[in-house]
Parts: sequence; structure tokens; C-alpha cells
Amino acid sequence: MEEIKKAIVEFAESSKKTKFYFKDIEKAVQKKIPDAKAREIKKACTALINEGTLIYFSTGSSTMYGLKGRGITEDPS
Amino acid sequence: MAFEPKEPQKEIKYQELRIYSDEELNNYTEEELKQFKIKHDIPDVEELEKGPWPSFVADAKREALRRRKLADDRMLIDRDVVEDMLGQLQLSFDDGETHWKHGGIVGVFGYGGGVIGRYSDVPEKFPSITAFHTLRVNQPASKFYNTDFLRSLCDLWEYRGSGLLNMHGSTGDIILLGTTTEQLEPIFYELTHELQQDLGGSGSNLRTPSCCIGKARCEFACIDTQDLCYELTTYYQDELHRPAFPYKFKFKIDGCPNGCVASIARADMSFIGTWRDEIRIDQEAVKAYMAGEIEPNAGAHKGRDWGKFDIQKEVIDLCPAQCMELDNGELKINNQECVRCMHCINVMPRALKPGKDTGVTILCGAKAPILEGAQMSTMIVPFMKAEPPYDNIKEFIEKVWEWWMEEGKNRERLGELIQRFGLPKFLEVVGLPPAPQMVKIPRENPYIFWKEEDVPGGWDRDIKDYRARHKR
Repeated sequence: MEEIKKAIVEFAESSKKTKFYFKDIEKAVQKKIPDAKAREIKKACTALINEGTLIYFSTGSSTMYGLKGRGITEDPS
Repeated sequence: MAFEPKEPQKEIKYQELRIYSDEELNNYTEEELKQFKIKHDIPDVEELEKGPWPSFVADAKREALRRRKLADDRMLIDRDVVEDMLGQLQLSFDDGETHWKHGGIVGVFGYGGGVIGRYSDVPEKFPSITAFHTLRVNQPASKFYNTDFLRSLCDLWEYRGSGLLNMHGSTGDIILLGTTTEQLEPIFYELTHELQQDLGGSGSNLRTPSCCIGKARCEFACIDTQDLCYELTTYYQDELHRPAFPYKFKFKIDGCPNGCVASIARADMSFIGTWRDEIRIDQEAVKAYMAGEIEPNAGAHKGRDWGKFDIQKEVIDLCPAQCMELDNGELKINNQECVRCMHCINVMPRALKPGKDTGVTILCGAKAPILEGAQMSTMIVPFMKAEPPYDNIKEFIEKVWEWWMEEGKNRERLGELIQRFGLPKFLEVVGLPPAPQMVKIPRENPYIFWKEEDVPGGWDRDIKDYRARHKR
């Protein structure tokens, strides 16, 4: 779990983009940890959300993840 | 039969949750309403009040007037929100484009959906709706409410939101329209802790499952739609609130093939109640319909003189499968050919009833035309029993999700994925054999391809020889 969390944060920090689809996070994590399952990655994402490291970004129809404080991932107000 | 909740229920103290008295809310006269002008000039928006239907503009004006007259300390967001919303709508008419931005904030802490961030892109003109977020509230199964609940919910929304709401959005949820960011957490707390009410789904989540009225009031319901809807909602809480899907995913549950929630057209996975035995026929009641003693369609179309009920013309000849006949005054149905159109049952509900061995047909892949064209569901599971704890249904759902999450591209709906890979691949994934009912027009639609290993003896085909005679 900790390893997956680390891989997620590393990916999010190194990417040029500021918002990521879950699918892209999954691919990036599986590049580093090939046997990581989607469900474990999702749990790691949820844990990072709960810790406040990651933040959800949604348009209403699809949801993305972002690093808190990076890009427009927070409410402007 | 009295309702018996399965789990202990917390008593909701509605009287303590009320914020306003009825007098406080009924704070204007019809005369005042006639004289009332909002602070913006909205000629085009007001046109919408002139048609034959009730108008949201008229409703919004009532709310604007109420907010004008409420005391300052009786609402927590700007009193002008409704007037500014109407003003911005007029500006959108003038400019021919929307002035709402959406996205960004998505929910309350830990939730990946349920709130859709909305912002005005002309906040200097309409400052009170600078942030005007939408909340989706998970509707109870079949949308049964207690009026105390509705009053408490409306009070909460008047106090902490705009007072504008939509019962219900096309998603099925109760849609609360417009509040500020700082009010989101308090509203969520009140909803969940006091009103025992969860938010619905939005974004790349499982969306709030919805169902028809089911056995509560409908004699045609073949399954307990509310129970299945509630079970799927509670069992898949994680999928509802923590997005990890490629895109949205909707369950809708119809109790019978009349399809009152139109699951076949709207849900990625549609559950439609059906039966696998025979339509029950009461021959005496059939005779009574034929003799004009019972009104066809339960009297629903009696406003005009259609003449005497003619079972041949109005029922038997209209059967799409042509599987009915009158034999010496007895109605006979070849049940194997029945396609569940429900017409005969709807016309003669006292004579015909769905069979007793009931369950669901599961269809997959319907969607609205956002990326590709609109698509109806394809029948995948012809019949499955639907009884608690619904393990067979959950097993099917999870097989489908696993494949979609693995293979689906970002923003690709299940229906599009099935199209991309082909129905045979999907059937392999869910472990079902192809059936003629999965094909729209059997023998004309080449949807199912045989593989060589499926055919005893296989086949020989020399592709070079074929190409010598048929250019690409």
C-alpha cells in the first residue's frame, strides 16, 4: 500500500499535467509495480485523498485526481 | 402489510429540524407577486412564462420574492441569488452562450461525487452567484417521501442554499441548485447526520441507482425493484462515492417490461422484471372484456367513443409476435414466442397477468449521445432470479465492471466498449453463450461470428485463393 501510494505521488509530481484520470494513474503505477491490482490502486488513491495529498477534480460527468495545491484543483474562493 | 425496515431506524425528529414556520415562508400575497419585478430586466426569460405549461421562471420569481421578504438572519447565502440566476439566464439569451463554468470542486471531504461545482463567468454583473454549486441528493427508492422529510429538506435548502431545487433531475436524484462552497460541508452534515440522507453519484462513479414504483403500487411488478435498488446502492457505496471507473455507470431497475424508468434506454446496466413461465389467463375475465363488462385499459382511454371493444383488432392483431389466438371463445397464447411487449396485459389487466416464476432480464450498454450516437441496451442475460441477497446479480455486475475497468478507455461507456470489442468478446467475458435474442434481426445481422473451434470439424479456407477472385 505504502509503495503504491509513493508511486502515485511520484507520478503526480513528475507529470506535466495537473489532473489525471484514474486509468492513467493505474498505468503509471503498474509500470513501477507490475502486480499492483486496480482495486489496491484505488484504495491507495482513496487513502491519499483522505490524507489530503490528492484531491478530486470533477466536471460533473467525469472525475479526475490532482495533487493538492498544484494546478487548479481547488475551489478558487 | 405494514412496512418492516430491515435495519434499526433512527427516529428523525422533524419538528426539531424545521427552520421556518409556515407563516414565515408564506410571506407574500398573490397581489404582491403580480407587482413584483426582479432587479434585472429579463424579457426573454419572461417569455417562458407564457406557454401552456407551468414555468420554472414563475416558480423562481416566487422564490425571489420570498427571499426579498425573509429577515436578514434567516438565510446564510445572499438573498439575491435567484434574481441573479435569472439575470444571468437573460444574458445567456442575449449572448447565445452559457455563462456557467462547471467543474473543479466535486464534493465534500472524502466524496468523489455528489457535488458539481458551478461558477458564474460574469461575477462582476451577478456577484451573488459567483459560486453556485449543485448538490445531488440520493433519492429514496421509487421516490417515496414523507412530507415532513420534504419540509425539512426544503427548509435546510432555503437556509443554506438558494431555495431552488429540482424534483427530480434526469439522474433521478433530488437536485439542489446553487450554494456557496462554505455551505457544502454543513449541508452534508445535516443531510447525513440529521436527515439520514446520502448524496448521490456524479463524475466517474456508479450513479445513484433508480427504480420504478415496483411492488409498492404496481400489480405488474415482477421483482421487488425497491429492494434491489436499495441493496445495490448500499452494497456498492464505495463505487458510488469513490471514482475509479473510466466514466459514469448507471443501474436502472424496471419492475416489468413496461419499463417506467426507461432503463433500456438510459442505463449502462438495465434490470427489467420478467417471467419465464406462462402469462396467467383468467378466461372468465377475457369473456367479460369481450362482452364490454370490464373497461379495457382500466378505462384509461374512455374519453372518446372508440366503439365496442374488439379483442381481435385491439389485442390479438397487435401482438408483435403474433402468438395469440381466440379458439372457440378461449384466448390462447403461445408463450414461447411472447416478446414481453406487455400490450395484452396492459389492455386486459384483470384477465391477464405476468407469470409467477419471476426474475430479471439484464441488458447492457444504453447511453445518451455524448461521444457517439445514442444507444439502447442489448439483451445479455435473458432471465435471472432476483432474490435477496442477489449474489447472482452481483457476480454478473462485477464481471462486467472488471472488464470495463481493464479495457475501457477514459470516458468510454460500457456500450461503446462492447461495440469496440464486439458482442462475442463481451459474451466471453461474462461467460454466456450467444442467443438469437441478443441479435436485433436474427439471420440478417452478422453480429455473431463463429470461430473455427466452435464448429465440429472446423473448416478449410484458402485466403489467397479467395483474394485471387475477390479484390480487397
